[in-house]
Amino acid sequence: MPLAHSPTTVPVLVDEAKCIADKGCTVCVDICPLDVLRISELTGKAYMKYDECWYCMPCETDCPTGAVTVNIPYLLR
Amino acid sequence: MNVWSDEIAQADCEVLVIGGGTAGPMAAYKAKTKNPGARVVLLEKANVKRSGAICMGMDGLNNAVIPGHATPEQYTREITIANDGICDQAPVYKYAQRCFEIIQELDRFGIRFLKDETGDYDVKKVHHNGTYVLPMPNGDTVKKALYRQLRRAQVLISNRYMATRLLTGHDSRIAGAIAVNTRTAQFLVIRAKTVILCLGAAGRLGLPHSGYLFGTYENPANSGDGYAMAYHGGAALANLECFQINPLIKDYNGPACAYVAGPFGAYTANNEGRRFIECDYWSGQMMLEFYNELQSGKGPVFLKLDHLAGETIGEIENILHRVERPSRGRFHERRGTNYRERMVEMHVSEIGFCSGHSASGVFVDEFARTTVPGLYAAGDMANVPHNYMLGAFTNGAVAGEHAIDLAAQVDFAAFDDGDVTLERERVLAPTRREDGIPPNQIEYKTRRFVNDYLQPPKVTRKYRIAQERFGEIREDLEGAMVARDPHELLRALEASSILDCAEMAATASLFRTESRWGLYHYRVDHPERDDLNWRCHTILYKVDGVMACEKRAIAPYVVPVDDREQAAYRRQRIPQPA
Amino acid sequence: MTAFEEFGEVAAIARRLDEPDAGARRVAVLELAETADPDVIPFLATALADPSNEVRHQAARALGEFDGQEAAVALAGALVDPDPGVAVAAADSLAEFKDPTVADRLLPLVSHSNPFVRRSVFRALKALRRPEAAQAAIDAIGDRDPGVRTQAVGVLGYLKLQSAVPALVAAAQDSDVDVRKAAVGALGFSATLAAQDAIVMRLLDADWRVREVAVETAGKLGIVAGIPALVGLLDDEYWQVQVKATRSLGKLRAIDAALPIARTLADGSANLRKEAAAALGEIADATTLRTLKRYADDPDPDVRKNVRWAIGQIEARRQR
Repeated sequence: MPLAHSPTTVPVLVDEAKCIADKGCTVCVDICPLDVLRISELTGKAYMKYDECWYCMPCETDCPTGAVTVNIPYLLR
Repeated sequence: MNVWSDEIAQADCEVLVIGGGTAGPMAAYKAKTKNPGARVVLLEKANVKRSGAICMGMDGLNNAVIPGHATPEQYTREITIANDGICDQAPVYKYAQRCFEIIQELDRFGIRFLKDETGDYDVKKVHHNGTYVLPMPNGDTVKKALYRQLRRAQVLISNRYMATRLLTGHDSRIAGAIAVNTRTAQFLVIRAKTVILCLGAAGRLGLPHSGYLFGTYENPANSGDGYAMAYHGGAALANLECFQINPLIKDYNGPACAYVAGPFGAYTANNEGRRFIECDYWSGQMMLEFYNELQSGKGPVFLKLDHLAGETIGEIENILHRVERPSRGRFHERRGTNYRERMVEMHVSEIGFCSGHSASGVFVDEFARTTVPGLYAAGDMANVPHNYMLGAFTNGAVAGEHAIDLAAQVDFAAFDDGDVTLERERVLAPTRREDGIPPNQIEYKTRRFVNDYLQPPKVTRKYRIAQERFGEIREDLEGAMVARDPHELLRALEASSILDCAEMAATASLFRTESRWGLYHYRVDHPERDDLNWRCHTILYKVDGVMACEKRAIAPYVVPVDDREQAAYRRQRIPQPA
Repeated sequence: MTAFEEFGEVAAIARRLDEPDAGARRVAVLELAETADPDVIPFLATALADPSNEVRHQAARALGEFDGQEAAVALAGALVDPDPGVAVAAADSLAEFKDPTVADRLLPLVSHSNPFVRRSVFRALKALRRPEAAQAAIDAIGDRDPGVRTQAVGVLGYLKLQSAVPALVAAAQDSDVDVRKAAVGALGFSATLAAQDAIVMRLLDADWRVREVAVETAGKLGIVAGIPALVGLLDDEYWQVQVKATRSLGKLRAIDAALPIARTLADGSANLRKEAAAALGEIADATTLRTLKRYADDPDPDVRKNVRWAIGQIEARRQR
């Protein structure tokens, strides 16, 4: 039973120009209650890896540079 | 690349608190400050800074018993009545006596409550039964303030560790817990003299109407792990059939917070813009009225604010769009819902277990003790009815203070090392498979059947079918579930808790052959309330590996509730739907 | 490997405050705050002088995590930061402080030339409740800046000192709405005649928001002299004021108000009818019984419930 990759649009967006994860910041990744954010090895910036979001917003509120935006997941909009 | 860590870490402590949301931090703080020399560990699946039901704060207290506004006796009476008499009053009464002291303490921590210009608490009167609502205009700072106190008290914080099972000693006392890191899958065995369970509600049980697994009313991290752990650890759980079902904003699935907007003059209305709720208490009875209105030609149901002054609405928006579920404003904006012009469509939530809102939880006494020696429970998962956030704080404090004292008198309980090995095998089984069924599919299927068969009104035949389906899913979960990395392992473990809770919900509901608590336990085959046979707790527990139920007498009332009051409440009731 | 949260050495993190990159300095500020160790305060104070306004902003917020004089002095300095965002963050942080001795460092700033500093200082003094702040706050009732006057009123309200009543009475007649509103609420601790007169006078204020607070305060203090004016407000042009007036009259158990309140049972607003029924229950005057019974079948369930309750209250009183 091989596993498929189904596409899904993620609710949390990170503005890479503002994100300072590459300078050592890990605030959003540290605090996400569902642990769905990661820092990309490619870009050094934070991104949403898993579409498992409660749209609760600590990532946006606590981000020191205002780089994170939480949208309502498409299925709920 | 090997993503799996083979390491097993070990630690010892006097008090182990599992769950760093609301009750947990307070329990750990009280234990540590009462005996600063002791080791107190706070274990959290996410990060204590932003975890649990109040990760984004809370907009107010709705059960504050503040001198001059309400008395502990009055509060205890009202909770007893609201919970249809099924209530051991001692823990409720203790909460009511201590909660004001906790409010003042939280105030000192820097959590702000609404005060008038003279600095007195500005308690809002919602109806003539009692005055319990205290808004928290800057309630978004709750977690931050708690975290600061934990750091100062030097509580040992262990983030991103999910507890999977409790360890029980040869003498059947609590011995500790096993946990696994959600990013490395590293195992952690903690020996503890006492353990306090504060893992929150089972909020990922029913499936939201949107179909989005994580779009639940409760924080979806509250996946019922505490209920499952208590069950497997041999503790008794009480009245699980008294489900949590809440009124909420349709699709967004967050609370409508009618109680926040209520003091400003907003209310729940039908499609004619009229009030329809008779019941004064937020209870299963109120939810039944809500459900009936939705089913009738007068649905949908709305939160009505469009009659309020612009300034007032601005004030309400300021609270509701900033605290607890702030993305709510963004949701309304996208749909063009302006409170000034349009009513907000509401709906009923999926089912869950949560004593914070109803009465389904691990059985505890007035010291937050469970039926397992040395094991405590507090917050949404502990059976103190209609507890809410302040109840979690207060009973967490009670648990922490009692547990640290007990820990000073006992030694570690000896347990079987084989238990750890067995648990490790159970937990890691999904990681040892090359392919199989991913956790999200196991979870979706479980939760869809919860909706199809367990959502009230409860029909016996449907419940039997659900039990069959859950049995089939269990075979898949135990024999075919696959996790490719530690994050998927976390979801796999949660899927297991969710299935345990689904089976408990079915078993407990079938046991109580009457209807009670309005919609929460409305059984179509047993539509009447039967005080003669069922004016008691139902207790669910594990015996010889199997789920069993029994009745437990209600402790004699500490605060008498006179018949006139009960009758007055009963008069408000409307008949069950035909 | 440990299973418990660990934080880096303060000195090592602090060295990163000299990094050339502002982002890296900002991360260092965040990490310093994380430690919750009071030893980091001097470093955060240094960061308040950073060339980057973003780093200064972060430092101003971070200092709010601490309490005490040392952090307060640093934040007070940042109130005059050239970047308004930094100054506001500093003021917000100061307002979080609970240590009463912080007042000793703030009091010298109450007559600072910058009104934002004066405002922020009084705002922070409020929750500290130090009687030593009373005279400064009384003097500030004459401040040119209405924001300063409002915050000074706040300080006096929290202190609940009878000696401040004349100043609050003066503030209740201020030209600025927010000052009047705050002052009327702040008088809610005083049973003196002067305070009561001032509150009763505000029942007729030109601004409805002031009337609303006056109505609530009259109810809280049980000011019988306010009853005639409160009855008049049952016809206020703002229903919010009507609702609060009804509630206060109920609290006052104002028999004279029973009939006028009973008349509002015919009002179109269900909120008002509900409040009227509840107030009639509290007053429990038998002459309203017939009117109440007429509304026992009101289309609104909340009104019906309160009518039933009110009827019960009146009947219970009769039986006694």
